[in-house]
Amino acid sequence: MKRRSFLKMSCCLGAGLALSGLGLTLAPVAAYADDMKKADALRTAVQSTTVCCYCSVGCGLICSVDKASGKIFNIEGDPEHPVNEGALCAKGAGLYQVSAANEHRLMKVLYRKPGSDKWEEKDWNFAISRIAELMKKERDKSFIVNNEKGQMVNRVQTMSLMGSSNVLSEECWATTQFARGLGFTYIDHQARV
Amino acid sequence: MSDGKSILVDTSRCTGCRGCQVACKQWNDLPGTRTKQAGTYQNPPDFSCDTYKIVRFAEGKKEGSREPYWYFFADMCRHCMNPPCMSASDKDEIVQDEATGAIVYTKETKNIDFETARSSCPYDVPRQNPDSKVLSKCTMCIDRMRSGLKPACVLSCPTAMEFGEREAILKLAEERVAELKKIWPKAKAIDADEVRVIFIVTDDPKKYHTHAQA
Repeated sequence: MKRRSFLKMSCCLGAGLALSGLGLTLAPVAAYADDMKKADALRTAVQSTTVCCYCSVGCGLICSVDKASGKIFNIEGDPEHPVNEGALCAKGAGLYQVSAANEHRLMKVLYRKPGSDKWEEKDWNFAISRIAELMKKERDKSFIVNNEKGQMVNRVQTMSLMGSSNVLSEECWATTQFARGLGFTYIDHQARV
Repeated sequence: MSDGKSILVDTSRCTGCRGCQVACKQWNDLPGTRTKQAGTYQNPPDFSCDTYKIVRFAEGKKEGSREPYWYFFADMCRHCMNPPCMSASDKDEIVQDEATGAIVYTKETKNIDFETARSSCPYDVPRQNPDSKVLSKCTMCIDRMRSGLKPACVLSCPTAMEFGEREAILKLAEERVAELKKIWPKAKAIDADEVRVIFIVTDDPKKYHTHAQA
């Protein structure tokens, strides 16, 4: 990937170190050494761009991946992205917490039975079958063929679809078709929330 | 040596999104703080050894009027040109970077008197880690600046913050204040000659934060 800013950055770093050799006493240099670790790591990191998963603005970000561990260690705004030019709101600026570095992130399906106060670990097959079963049941129960005026409407008003700004236009189209196929009238997008 | 770097925080443009606050935490790997709902968007309530940047939300009523005001103040260390907190430092516990002018607290600040450092700061910025006794505050992202990057808060800010050579920032501040004065006669750049992080306000600084101005 071409990264003009990355090159500029490397040049500036060289200049910075040269300056520090001339101007600073040893003590401050030692003091900075610790602080420089993350900035130094950025120089050797594999950088890839991504788009913020939250709202419909679609801000661009740069993910920095440590070559040795293969783990993301920094995510920040992409100064070359035309939408945000590096800027991010509080949600986007905290995007690093969405990465695997966040130990609190949910990694397995957790299920809580109705009336229970305990979470149980389940597999995806269980979760998807359970959701499908409940959707089918609810749809069969509340499907409206004709409205009060006797017009054919074929709709379900007790369920809704909440889309995501993570998905592509084509995926949006597919999920919308799915929801309309079931008769959903309430179809919305998480980015509006 | 040039005049180093400066940051401009134009509170008239700040939307209070707190992107800067989160970006600061993210870059500096600072943990979150457990807080309680205090009836304000300001959260956490104040600086701490883990919070270098905080957007203060000040509410009140305008003088002689029922009209409310709601001011956002993205508070941080001002990186003074002649920092009073350095008087608490005997050796090189607190250092001033020659290239940028940033004031950096080293790990050795555990050996200096916290109360002296904090009380000397007109902006009430220094904080101490209760366990390690190390003093901490905003580093102006000295590590990022040395790598040719903008400080994390400035990069993240969608509206209000600028970073650059001090001369350029001072000029920018002057122009912006002149523009703002047309609508808000009280507009000014707080302590612009003494600090590197210059806040532009449109009203009495005291209304934004007790320690907004020296």
